[in-house]
Parts: sequence; C-alpha cells; structure tokens
Amino acid sequence: MNSLRKYAWIAFTAARSNLAYLGEVSSRLIFLTVILYIFLRLWQDTYDYSGTGKLGDFSLNQMLWYLTVTEAILLSGPKVSQLIDEDVRTGSFATHLVRPMSYPLYRLAMCLGERVVRFISNMFAGCLVTSVLVGPSSLQWSGFWFLLLALPLAFVLDFLGNFLVGLGAFWIEDTSGLLLIYSRGTMLIGGVLLPLELYPTSVQPLLKILPFANIAYAPARLFVNPTLTDLLLVLSRQLFGVALLGSAVYLVYRVAQRRVFINGG
Amino acid sequence: MNAVELHNLRKVFQLKKGGLFKRTATEVVAVEGIDLAVARGESVAFIGPNGAGKSTTIKILTGIMRPSQGTASVLGLTPWRDRTALAYKIGAVFGQRSQLWYHLPPDDSFELLARIYNLPKFDYQKRRKILIERFSLGDFLHTPVRKLSLGQRMRAEIAASLLHAPQVIFLDEPTIGLDVIARQELRDLICEWNKNEGVTVFLTSHDAGDIESVARRVVVINHGRVVLDDRVSNVRQKLLRAKVISAKFQEQPALLELPGVTVIERTGYSLKLEVDTVKINIEAVTSAILKAGRVLDITIEDPPLEDVIAHIYNQQKGKDSVAPLCAAC
Repeated sequence: MNSLRKYAWIAFTAARSNLAYLGEVSSRLIFLTVILYIFLRLWQDTYDYSGTGKLGDFSLNQMLWYLTVTEAILLSGPKVSQLIDEDVRTGSFATHLVRPMSYPLYRLAMCLGERVVRFISNMFAGCLVTSVLVGPSSLQWSGFWFLLLALPLAFVLDFLGNFLVGLGAFWIEDTSGLLLIYSRGTMLIGGVLLPLELYPTSVQPLLKILPFANIAYAPARLFVNPTLTDLLLVLSRQLFGVALLGSAVYLVYRVAQRRVFINGG
Repeated sequence: MNAVELHNLRKVFQLKKGGLFKRTATEVVAVEGIDLAVARGESVAFIGPNGAGKSTTIKILTGIMRPSQGTASVLGLTPWRDRTALAYKIGAVFGQRSQLWYHLPPDDSFELLARIYNLPKFDYQKRRKILIERFSLGDFLHTPVRKLSLGQRMRAEIAASLLHAPQVIFLDEPTIGLDVIARQELRDLICEWNKNEGVTVFLTSHDAGDIESVARRVVVINHGRVVLDDRVSNVRQKLLRAKVISAKFQEQPALLELPGVTVIERTGYSLKLEVDTVKINIEAVTSAILKAGRVLDITIEDPPLEDVIAHIYNQQKGKDSVAPLCAAC
C-alpha cells in the first residue's frame, strides 16, 4: 500500500509540475491546430478524388476525429528515453539508486503523471479545432468511455518501449538512433498518420497485433467506431504487449544495472 | 555494530579497447584490498587523488555497484543486496549532481521525499520544520530549484538528505563550487548534525578545509589502497617535521644560514623560512632571527594541511607507510 501511495504521489507531482509550463502547452496547441487543418485539407481532397464516402471504413468526419486522437496521444508522450539516456550519461542514475524506490516504476509514475496532463490539454484543443472543422456528428458517448479504458495500457505500452530504448544508453553512447527507429515505427506502423485499414490487407493482421498499433491506432479506432468486441480485443492485446515488453524491460534492466559506471574520482 | 565495515574490498573494471573487429580487454583495478571500519557517530574524511578509487568505494557502500571481491557492510546490511532496506537508513549528497527535482521548489521535493521514504506525517512535519530553521531555507523554500544559487541549492540538498533521519550520510564533495562563506556555513551544519544527532558522516572532498572542519578522522586512499588512516590532529604531528616561520623586520635583515633552514620567500623586509625541527630546534632559529635585525612581527605555523595531503598523494605505490613531509629534508 505504501509503495502504491509513493508512486501515486510521484505521478501527482509530475502532473502538477507540468501544469506550470503554459508556454509548452500553448505551442502544442498551435501545432495541433495547424496539423489538423492540414490533415483536413489533405483528406478532403483524397475523399473527393476517390469519389467514395468512406475509405478503409472511415468517413471523412471519422478520419479527422481519428487523427485528432492519434495526434493527441503522440504529442502527449514525455521524453522518457532521453531522460534515461541523460541519467545514465551524467551519472544522475546513482541519485535514484540510493533512494528506496524502483527506478523503472519511478519513471513510469513520472511519465503517466505528465502524460495525463498533456493528453487532456491536447485532446481539449484537438476537440475544439476538429469540432469547428468537421463537427462532432460521428461521435458516440461510448467511444469516449472506451477510449478512456484503452488509454492507460496504451500509455504503459509506450512507456515500456521508450524505457527499453533509453536502457540502450548503458551500452551505446547515443540512443537517438534507436529512438528514431521506435518513434517512426510508432508513427508508420502504429497508425498515427494512417489507420491500419488503409494498409495492404495481407499485412494488416500482423500490424494490428504489434505493440505499436495498440498505443495510438487501437484507442483512436475505438473512439470513432466503438464496439464492445473491439474493446475486449484491444485490452487483451495491450495486456499481452505489456507482459511481453514488461518482461523485456525487467531482464534488460537487471543486466543494465551491472553496467553502472558513474563518472567521478 | 560498526556503521561501515569493509574487508579486503576489491573492484576490477573490464575495459575494451580497439576497433570494430579486433578488441582487447584490459583490467583496471579501481580498489585493491581495502579494510576499513567506521564506528557509529564518527565523521570520516575519505580522500585521495583523482582516480584513487574513493568514488568507487562510495558507490559500493551505497549499493550502486557490486565489488569484485571482499565484503562490505553498512549498518549490518550488504549494500548491493539490501539496497532498498539500506536506502531508508542512509543519505547521500553528490556535490556535482542534484537530487532535488529541478523544476520543483524545495518544499515540493521534501513532500515527495517524505512519501518516498514513507515518513509518518507528524514526524515529517516536525523534521521539516527543524531542517528549514537550521538550514535557513525559509527564504527560498517555494522557489524552483533551477532558480536557486549554488549555495542555496546545496543547503537544500543536504537538508533533503537528512529528512528521513539517516544514520549514515555520504557526502561526495558537498562544498564544490561554493564561496567561502557558504562553504563554512555548510561545514558548520554538517558538524552540528554529526554531534547533535550522532549521524555518521562519510565525506569525500578535495578541500582541506572540509577535512579539517568536518572530519575527526582521515582515511587517504591512493592507487586503490588505504595509505593512511589516522585522526586529523595526528596527521600533522606525525608527518610534519617542518614549521614555517614568517618574520617582518624594520630594516633589511642579515643573511640567515642555518642547517635545516630553507628560505621559502624573501621580499623587501619580510622573510619566510621552513625549518626542519629534527635538524635544528625552533628556539635556535628564532634566536637567529632576532639577531638578524629589528623584528616587527614573527609567526610560527604548521604548513597547510593541503601540503600534507599533496605529499601523501605523491608517495609511491607499494610503500607501507608515508614518509614525513619536509622541504628541507
């Protein structure tokens, strides 16, 4: 119980401190407005050119709401791997090890606290912009609740992926290359820019079970097209992904801890 | 039970050198057979030149690293195995790395640390009040750490490390970068905490002032081994054969040529001499000085502790004892 309270407070503190940076919130909101407008223009032309009302089972209205959610999720991600990389390179890692807490859980709590605040502000801005551009006609309340149910595990999955990338700092000088692979993987095959329904049919089953798809694509799809079957499927895939990546983090972290070389005479 | 016990502690690092296809492994021995015991409530300065192995030793004692051989015990616990249990009983301040949350005020960091260390609310409030008062944190308690001066930050860092009432505190260069006043304030606070609360202090520092002010015992490590372990007051007496005499005259003094006396400095009407007290006694030298001219002022002092420490560092590897310091020897 004490442990849970400890990490809950860490998450709460991270959330609170994030509220202080209004400048950063404003810049994200401006970016979201611009990007959603660009998406709208692109997809309007695409739908007009295709001559169909739906592409990959998505209407234009649904498509834009889908992209609103994926962008809100993507932009809410804290720089987990960069922070771990910095902790390892600067030796700050040691300051965490002398405290009675788990470093991975500490980073998870900080990440979740920060991410919740950022997601809420992104979603608020995104909803505002998209409502003005296309209106909320395709939305259902169940989509909203299903999104809320799918988000926690989506955030944990993304954290685990980033944490693994950050642990690379124990072996290589610069993890930015690994991070690039991970972040582009999330964007391209994780359905951030395009719903997976628009990919070739042969690869869709594989893409949908990968962890990347369950971070942004799955929650966003639930939001625009909520079904109970899909919700249960998404949650089970997310749980599987968390178990898989969580085990990988546990094993790699155990080995990484033995490679602690902290500068100083 | 001692606060800290080390038996035959050894730590070897494997370093790989070479290109992509041909790499050779070399071993670097950072710590080579250290035996050490620190009683509860002691204040020990653990010093050595860069690369001597002192940081490696501290990392082993705080559970950050495992040794290659030997045993280590802090408050009866094995640091790397019982790291979490030990963390509740020790505090650590790394002078060059902040432990406070950069974007939060010290007050928020204290609140966070209270949760991390599972401090009961009443105990935390009481402790917090004492620390704020003694460390004079009131003026900047609600200012984000990133906006604090270095002196303010270090006071907050040390206060934070004492929040959970640790029994042992490891201070790794706590006064680095501080001005003279801030440094002395911090030293006084550490001494006070050692005396009043009985906290065992394990300090590493390159500052002789830290050692003299805070520690009662000094352990010097070089090339991974302990080369000296004694009380700070004894170090000077045992190692110093030399005294430094400074004299100011009313006119140009006569030449002084005495066995065991070296002129360190001669400027205008002033003279500074180093005296080997084994070869000649102080009385004879002061008599000679008084005869050399009309003396306005005369002082007799020990060489600075810094010179003593530098002398110890320069001792060659493999010697069992440290030879005394004396430029005139």
